[in-house]
Amino acid sequence: MKKYLLSVGLLYIISFLGAQELFVVTDPASNMPAGSSNIRLSQSLFKELLEDGYNYHLMPEVSYGINKNLMVRAASFLSNRNNRLYLEGGSLFLKYRFFSSDDIHSHFRLAAYGRVSKNRADIHQEQIETMGHNSGAELGLIATKLVHKTAISSSISLEKATNNDPNYVFPETQDNTAINYSLSWGRLMYPKTYKSYKQTNINLMFEFLGQTLSDNRKTFIDGTAAIQFIVNSQSRIDLAYRKSLFSNMLRSAPNGIYLNFEYTFFNFKK
Amino acid sequence: MLTANSTFAQVKKAEIIATGLTCSMCSNAIYKQLNTIVGVDSVLTDLNTNTFTVFLKPDNKYAPNLFKENIEKAGFFIGSLIVTVPGSVISGNINQFIPLGKGSPINEEEISIKIFDEGYVTHKEHKKYLKTFASVGTYSQNKADVFHYKIEAK
Repeated sequence: MKKYLLSVGLLYIISFLGAQELFVVTDPASNMPAGSSNIRLSQSLFKELLEDGYNYHLMPEVSYGINKNLMVRAASFLSNRNNRLYLEGGSLFLKYRFFSSDDIHSHFRLAAYGRVSKNRADIHQEQIETMGHNSGAELGLIATKLVHKTAISSSISLEKATNNDPNYVFPETQDNTAINYSLSWGRLMYPKTYKSYKQTNINLMFEFLGQTLSDNRKTFIDGTAAIQFIVNSQSRIDLAYRKSLFSNMLRSAPNGIYLNFEYTFFNFKK
Repeated sequence: MLTANSTFAQVKKAEIIATGLTCSMCSNAIYKQLNTIVGVDSVLTDLNTNTFTVFLKPDNKYAPNLFKENIEKAGFFIGSLIVTVPGSVISGNINQFIPLGKGSPINEEEISIKIFDEGYVTHKEHKKYLKTFASVGTYSQNKADVFHYKIEAK
């Protein structure tokens, strides 16, 4: 009976999870409005597993909606790995929404994306991460379904790491190609009824993020829980906790928190 | 942002229901986009129904596709569009405005019409209307500057 109640409880929670689709770690299939721009300061503080202390990453990003289906984002990566904030690299990201089926208060959308990154940090883990750790490239597909206050999004991507600058050669003993996959839920918790654009919106989000290296099949799966505040319908604050749920690969700092700030300039170019 | 169709003058009001969104930031993107249209007097928003009522200054020369383009620029779609125009605009452009229902705009000083073409109703509705209006030859042609309408009750 207890098991039954637990299952029903879990199903209830899952069916109401989720929400809005401005996820903390992954991108939804939707794009920026055309001609609009946003700036984002992503910060993460992750506990080092192999040494004392924390690994702090700061990622300033600028995004721009080129047209209704295409957006671009430039990001730079700073970290304190060498005991001072150091500019380690940057990336360029393009996302193209190629399918939309919208209805009143719902949509299903598909998008493809690509990222190229340069990085000059030392290569210190088996996990491949072109967002802040490895030079390389990523190509992926995203599917997002929004129904009323709940959004569910899933993505799959191929990621390849290359040598880091200036002469950090990618170790031959490590696998340099990976498949990434994600499943994200988001739900608008507040307000129940909108009164104005000034109302702060609160979203609750859960994301599962996985990576499998293509040859040796080493894998990790992480879970992320986040609370998000949308202020003035124009800016965004994310607070999230990420934890490794399963891993058989070497990762230097898999568990930690995110604190992100984002501001959108609507109709940056009219 | 003047459209090519200079004969379609004086859209006084447009009532738009946008599809594909539930969040206030998405709604704000549409609100800000509609406010960039030259000649817009004001935009009223119902955040819970995603209805945007756009009031325009007189003597503009806009066609319904103006609203479609702007909603889509914000990343969303139109689920319903009702425009209020002088009756003479409709009766003076019978090749561009094709009636699907009863009623005549000829003697109306001001008339509200709902547009039924693809991109102005939901995907599901459009599929249904393709069957409903199969006898109207122009309906399935999806020409960007030809609008099929019904007069809205006052």
